[in-house]
Amino acid sequence: MEQIISAYHILFLVAVLVLAVLVILSILRSVRGPRTADRIIAVNMVGTQIITIIAILSVYLNENYLVDICLIYAMISFLGVVVLCKVYTGVYLQKKHMKATMEAIEDNVARQHPVVIAEEHDNSRNPVEAAEKHGDSRNPVEMKTEREDAK
Amino acid sequence: MIFEWCRFAVAVVCFVIGILFMVLAVFGVNRFDRALNRMHAAALGDTLGILFVFLGLILMRGWSMDSLKLFLVILFFWMASPVSGHMISRLEATTDESLGEIQVIRKETEKAAGSGQAEAMGTENENGGGRE
Repeated sequence: MEQIISAYHILFLVAVLVLAVLVILSILRSVRGPRTADRIIAVNMVGTQIITIIAILSVYLNENYLVDICLIYAMISFLGVVVLCKVYTGVYLQKKHMKATMEAIEDNVARQHPVVIAEEHDNSRNPVEAAEKHGDSRNPVEMKTEREDAK
Repeated sequence: MIFEWCRFAVAVVCFVIGILFMVLAVFGVNRFDRALNRMHAAALGDTLGILFVFLGLILMRGWSMDSLKLFLVILFFWMASPVSGHMISRLEATTDESLGEIQVIRKETEKAAGSGQAEAMGTENENGGGRE
């Protein structure tokens, strides 16, 4: 019986140590991440690993209330991700004077990849222009500047 | 005693699989170069990693209120993780200026209802590029 308890303790210790290293690597990603979405993903992952560590500790230390903390941590982590996403989307779309609907996503897709729009909407409506766009293999950045010139 | 050791072995297997999924998630997030790809790797740790680690903990605990709560955490994660993933992907699809090629899928009913509006928006996209 002594043996099995010490085996469990070694297992928990190794698991918590590995998870701690993973948390550090995730924090590294959240510092390096070039975009906001990368940072949010990394922070969400840190939350997941911290929850796992707390759950392991609740069994390791034989403290029941840590499971409740685990549950509440999960809820607050989820709330944080949702709020951060809403805030960043809203701040970005406020500059463009748009609402956070599908049109915003389609507008963003249309800016950088005209072929998708051509396939989706313009095939039946405007065949000449659609064909022109299908044949178009220019750099999207050029396309964008050209559109701004046209405006 | 034999039963205890068998339970320990199953718990170790569950732990190893779960932590392997977590390692894969961190590896993928550090390796991929787009946020939408990274999200795929991160969801792996959010679902399967947490499932296997918590399954091992439930096995160790046996039938009790705590294992029920641990199961509740799994259930919550499995419902919350897709929602947060959807929010993050929506943020990325809306705000990334150099997103590359993605396919936007609309529901047919929505398209039918707002076809005139969509047409107006589409032409505006082609001509102006923005609606300032």
